[in-house]
Amino acid sequence: MNATTIGLLAVGIVFVLDIILLVGLVGLKAYHRRRIQSHESRRAAYVAILSRHLASEGSTERIAADAADDDAFIDAVIDLRNVVSGGETETLTGLVDGLGVAERQVAKLRSRFPLGRRLRAAVSLAEIGDESTAPVLIEHLADREPEIRIQCARGLGRMRITMAIDAILERLGREDPWVRVRFADTLIAYGAKATWPLTAYIRVNLGHDENRGVIEAIRVLGTIGDREVGPTLSGVLRVAADPEVQLAAIEALGLVGGPMAIPPLDHALRSSDWRLRAKAATALGHIGDPTVNRALAKRLTDDDWWVRRNSAAALASLPGGDQLLLGAMRSADPFARDAAAEALADIGALTAARQRDEAGLAGEEDLLLLEHVRAGDSVLV
Amino acid sequence: MLPEDSNSPMSEVKRVLVADDSETVTTVLVTALELEGYEVETARNGVEAYEMGISGRYDLVILDQLMPGMLGLEIIDRWQEEGHEIQTIMLSGVDDERTVVNSFESGAVDFIRKPFRLPELLARVRQRLPN
Repeated sequence: MNATTIGLLAVGIVFVLDIILLVGLVGLKAYHRRRIQSHESRRAAYVAILSRHLASEGSTERIAADAADDDAFIDAVIDLRNVVSGGETETLTGLVDGLGVAERQVAKLRSRFPLGRRLRAAVSLAEIGDESTAPVLIEHLADREPEIRIQCARGLGRMRITMAIDAILERLGREDPWVRVRFADTLIAYGAKATWPLTAYIRVNLGHDENRGVIEAIRVLGTIGDREVGPTLSGVLRVAADPEVQLAAIEALGLVGGPMAIPPLDHALRSSDWRLRAKAATALGHIGDPTVNRALAKRLTDDDWWVRRNSAAALASLPGGDQLLLGAMRSADPFARDAAAEALADIGALTAARQRDEAGLAGEEDLLLLEHVRAGDSVLV
Repeated sequence: MLPEDSNSPMSEVKRVLVADDSETVTTVLVTALELEGYEVETARNGVEAYEMGISGRYDLVILDQLMPGMLGLEIIDRWQEEGHEIQTIMLSGVDDERTVVNSFESGAVDFIRKPFRLPELLARVRQRLPN
């Protein structure tokens, strides 16, 4: 064979392979579409049957035994659990129990392959919420697949299985950040039940494993917002050497609030680290206690822009803080005047001052603010 | 109170329109209401719900707040503006105070949160529409 023939043969082979691939892709797509349509029609049929069971207590309509293995049936149950509540949820639970759905899903979860089926089983168990599966879900918090671990944690959180909190916490420092965040979401869902386990976790693990889990645990405590953790957070802020831990503690104190949060935050406002000062200013503004106004006003002359900005913003949100901001317009420090002017603009004081000026009713403080803006010393011009 | 254009004011069978874009919700409601003896039709989006509502065929409308096309509150407002008096129960997964108040101010006769308790929903329907 000469080169031309070989070339033509090669082209022909590639062409044929392409046609085969194309036909295969089209066939695969058609098959996939039919599977989805079949799934949807089965799901709709199951929804109809289950609806009749819910609507009529004495319904004897039979659900096929193999429904327990059908993902469409699981989807129908999950959809209905999102629609109805109260006694109907118990009816659904009874129907699901009667078919042995949980056992079948546990078996799928425990199988080695494929991942898709195992993940699907984990999601189903998380959604169905059968408390008898809690030990299996706890076992699989250590599953080799992160998505499965997440779903197991989610399921335990939905069922508020208290004994799972420590198991979830135990994984917190070992997980990748994106998994850790999802575990944290689950802990938040536990609410106050998670407060003391989290507190104990922080005390034991502070200073270990680069504090990854500790930081997340502190954030969860802040989000839960139980004021009783104020002393714990205050202690963490005092003893932690890692500024990231301190920042998390400051933010959490701001969310938790209460009188016990003020002293440690006031102390942090005088930290040598500008990040802690800036974060403390924001946290104090969040708490909303005007007793810190003077301390915040002092920070308007801070060396760091973020500290000045956050302190001014906090003052703008606090009762009486606007007066201190207006007073800061007389400061000899141009940076303090600028921070105050920006915060006053954010709360509408600049617009109000302009309107009063146009009406000939501007007061001394209005004129100071407007003069500062007009003088070009401010980015607000 | 019967709608202004009721085809058969003395009909014993009451007609209900269930307007929700969720097939699961409509299936549950249709099944339960039909077992109660109501005639039920469904609308799957806001525009369809609006148009079916003004036809005057229904004694009661169960209206989802969040639907494609038109929101439940928009639909009730338009019905009111156009002079259609249609008994409406608002159904919503969003149950903040503002949404509830707006629903009643727009003219809804009741508000049911999702997920709902089926016996409670049926009791409220029966109260509005003895069958």
